[in-house]
Amino acid sequence: MTPRSRRLLERGLPKLVAWLLLAFLFVPVLVVIPVALTDRDYLSLPNNGISFDHFAALANWRAGWMPSILTSLGIAMASAVIATAVSAAFAIGAWVYVGRWPSILRVILLSPLIVPPIIYAVGMVRLWSKLGLLDTWLGVTIVHVILAMPLAVLAIGASLSNLDPRLVQAARSLGARPATIFGRVILPNIVPGTVAGAILAFIVSWDEITVTLFITSRGIVTLPRKIWTSIADAVDPALAAIATVMLAVTIVGLILRMTVWDRIAQRRSRHDFQ
Amino acid sequence: MTSFQRWAFCLTVPAALLTLCLYVLPILQVLALSFTEPTVGLGNYVALFQNAAIGRVVRTTVFVSAVTTVLTIVMSYAVAFALVHMPPATRRVALFMVMVPFWISVLVRAFAWITILRRNGVLNSALVGSGAVSQPLELVYNQFGVIVGMVHYMMPFAIMLLYANLSEIDLRIIQAARSLGARPVSIFFRVWLPLSMPGLAIAGLFIVIFSLGFLVTPAILGAGRVLMVAEYISVQISSTLRWGVATALSTMLLLVVGILIALAMRSPALRAAFEGGRK
Repeated sequence: MTPRSRRLLERGLPKLVAWLLLAFLFVPVLVVIPVALTDRDYLSLPNNGISFDHFAALANWRAGWMPSILTSLGIAMASAVIATAVSAAFAIGAWVYVGRWPSILRVILLSPLIVPPIIYAVGMVRLWSKLGLLDTWLGVTIVHVILAMPLAVLAIGASLSNLDPRLVQAARSLGARPATIFGRVILPNIVPGTVAGAILAFIVSWDEITVTLFITSRGIVTLPRKIWTSIADAVDPALAAIATVMLAVTIVGLILRMTVWDRIAQRRSRHDFQ
Repeated sequence: MTSFQRWAFCLTVPAALLTLCLYVLPILQVLALSFTEPTVGLGNYVALFQNAAIGRVVRTTVFVSAVTTVLTIVMSYAVAFALVHMPPATRRVALFMVMVPFWISVLVRAFAWITILRRNGVLNSALVGSGAVSQPLELVYNQFGVIVGMVHYMMPFAIMLLYANLSEIDLRIIQAARSLGARPVSIFFRVWLPLSMPGLAIAGLFIVIFSLGFLVTPAILGAGRVLMVAEYISVQISSTLRWGVATALSTMLLLVVGILIALAMRSPALRAAFEGGRK
């Protein structure tokens, strides 16, 4: 082997492997798009031209997709608002409070990130059936709040760790009351983290399936639950259509995140710098 | 306690009440039920070790999780390593290809794999159509399909963890190795790899824990033929109503997760990584 070809092998081969692996991650997800456009009424690639019938089927109220989207939106918005409020209060309190209590509580609060959700599902089926909250809006929303809090706490906590504690000391020495300090000194400074926390909480609830599967039946059908039953029941191309819509929303969201959000963050940091 | 500190304490109370009453308590109840349902004693745990069906489920779970973890870590490391060496513009494209599957619903991903891998799916049609194989291959509803789906689910997590670790490595160390005459292969095995051990360990830990308790992807891509612990628990509480077995298996799962984390925290490098992440 000449030194040149060896160099090529050492540099080029890892790069090629990495791009093949990236394709393995990205390309399979895209397969839902052509399947959604099939002109046949079973899962297949388009045969004689494309058709938008399966997207039209999503809009049909009786097919059940629209009601489940609205259910998921409602629960996700309620869970995001509650989880963000509770998490912001906790994160601020823990940032200010001196003592061991917040750090112990933080470990417990973050544990849903690592404890398998199936264990929590077993516990909640038991508790909700005792309290009569199975298959109710309240029951699902409470569970989603609990599961959304860890990411909200992390996002808001990250914002707080960039906040200068001397700001609070200054406010206190100038005689501001506690309510003023929390509401008008700390809170306005952690708006970006709080917004990020709310978005993450919304996504957690919107995507939640494992626990929801056990604590709902026919009454509350969230979108993930509807997708779950359709995958199990049949091979309906409407499933590919809803998957395509979700993929499109994800891609738009990511592009916004990678362009607009970064620009806002840059402008903010420039602003702070001046 | 000053009034300011009292205020701060009060702010942590709602979160504390919520998690303690509606997260910790239900899980403690699961642990308790495993010793009391249907009769008080260790009967459920004896059954766990004597029942052949449960033994098979546990073996499947351990095997699938182990294969998934090894494949995920090796493949993710290759991607993360390439990411660190990319020019920024190319890296944005590559990160985008990682983040799309990361954020898309796990159900959409499992569904996509079914359309690709099933008997008359996209891949088999292409293979049979091109004459590469005469019969469609059995690619899904078996361990192969479950492992493909799980590796695809876990890789974005592992890539993000490994990339964060690799991009913290001081590039001057690599330059020093190169200027001292080390060849690329020995730079990789004697500099990059040892320095990425904390990242590899943390990613491995997360992937093992996620795999052991994973319900959705094994259930959809295994379709009952690859029964893992989470799906077995779900069958016990929703169809056969054997609460004792379900809670005992849940307790064992929780115990294994706890032991894995405790073991990981003994390693100083991992502890540093965890505490670093906590800042």
